[in-house]
Amino acid sequence: MDANTMIDSLSTQFPDAVFDTKVESKIRIFAKVKPENIKDVCMYLKGNLSFGHLCCEFGIDFPDRNEIEVVYVIGSYDHSVVLTLKALLPRDNPEIESVVSVYWNASWYERETYELFGVKYLNHPDLRPLVLPEDMLGEWPLRKDYKGFPNKTAKNLV
Amino acid sequence: MMDEKVGPSEMIVHLGPQHPMMPGPFRLNAKLRGETVVDSEVEMGWLHKGIEKILENKTYLQGITIVDRICYLAAMTNEEAYVGCVEKLAGIEVPPRAQYIRVIMEELSRIQSHMLGTGEYASFVGFVSMFMYTIRDREDVLSLLDSVSGTRITHSFLRFGGVKDDLPEGFKEDVKRVFANLRKAIDSYEELFSSDDIYRSRTVGIGVLTPEVAKDIGVSGPPLRATGVAFDIRRDEPYLVYPDLDFKVCTRKEGDVYARVQVRLDEIRESMYIIEQCLDQMPQGPLFPEGTAYGRRSPIMRVPAGEVFNRVEDPRGEMGFYMVSDGSDKPYRVKIRGPVYPTLQALPPLIKGVRVADIVAIAGSMDTCTSEVDR
Repeated sequence: MDANTMIDSLSTQFPDAVFDTKVESKIRIFAKVKPENIKDVCMYLKGNLSFGHLCCEFGIDFPDRNEIEVVYVIGSYDHSVVLTLKALLPRDNPEIESVVSVYWNASWYERETYELFGVKYLNHPDLRPLVLPEDMLGEWPLRKDYKGFPNKTAKNLV
Repeated sequence: MMDEKVGPSEMIVHLGPQHPMMPGPFRLNAKLRGETVVDSEVEMGWLHKGIEKILENKTYLQGITIVDRICYLAAMTNEEAYVGCVEKLAGIEVPPRAQYIRVIMEELSRIQSHMLGTGEYASFVGFVSMFMYTIRDREDVLSLLDSVSGTRITHSFLRFGGVKDDLPEGFKEDVKRVFANLRKAIDSYEELFSSDDIYRSRTVGIGVLTPEVAKDIGVSGPPLRATGVAFDIRRDEPYLVYPDLDFKVCTRKEGDVYARVQVRLDEIRESMYIIEQCLDQMPQGPLFPEGTAYGRRSPIMRVPAGEVFNRVEDPRGEMGFYMVSDGSDKPYRVKIRGPVYPTLQALPPLIKGVRVADIVAIAGSMDTCTSEVDR
């Protein structure tokens, strides 16, 4: 199965939920997904298109568009096509369904995206901060309007 | 999340973050019943450097020195993943000679990482003299890296479109001399491992991963290949000149701790074979694309807007960079996908039901690099 068939199969299965699909090259495909359908799409990808390997999941902040993008990069152990899946969330209240029940290793990626971007994952088994100390929760340091960097570094304190 | 309640004859032991037998600073809270681990959880973040945020505030060229520091054992492959992202976005073609030099450097880097990994691992299970042997022989490989890049560990050697320097004179002879010794050394490690009853009883059949479980938890690299799954980015998604080279993907069937170490030793041999092929096949030619401004001193560059995901085969598995550019001289967002991140996450289910002494045996066999997990 090549990249074109995969993306066709995905858009036939979810005509409303998946949009802006693109075949970038033989091994890279791209799609945007509605946040409420993310779990169904992931289940379909894992079950039918053998996208069984979640490479990573993370956020990108776009203050100009007032949006946070949650990006899922999903690969496979059986073929070499990598799918980039994007869900667009509003910046003031980003909430999305967790995919831990589909991809087990999404757990830490979601915890990290939560503490760095403030994206709330619904039905996540254990949504606690991962790399940051707990008192930094709520500062969302990887958002573009975070003022702590580099102003809080030692050089600027003197 | 671990249940904090302890039953009768149970207790919670905090291992780390500063534990002499831990492969890097992370904390493992293990609930024990007698000698058996009932439940556990991993706490990390002691080495969190915020590299993803730092990269957003540095120019593309400055970023090269930062990505070296993600994991000092895999500096060369980290650079390759980062530089490859920029090259894909800006459409830079790397000339063949520079590609061969990159492959040589990356494979040397893989050898030294696997040697430290093997030695460190042996010391975790109480075989400390093995650590001394591997460290001694690894130094020769580091000298080779040093002779090309000028640094032993954090090289900052790659540039956009090429490499900083050509190979020095007499490099081929040096490689020949070092590899002759190294081949003997690897054979002797293998013999020591297979003939040592105590080592075998600590490793054979311990920490077994099945292919299904390994795929489910997102493991890549030697721990995955030790379960029999031949997944290698160098072959599945070739970059540089790997398609022109002859190498096999080393796998084992058993999936236990012993098999993981064996896969690493096999890969060292395979890497040596790759380097020898490169040295024979290498064409003469420029180190940077001709007729462009790219050179040892990279120009101040603005990378065209776009997004790219580039992955390479790290000594530990799949290393991927996702880079978003907005057309300025700094990346808009860089996500670093390290290979050990999913592996460390999978530690609690892996050590459930094992004895305390085996925790370190299992954690160490994954060749965990906490610096890369925390970034």
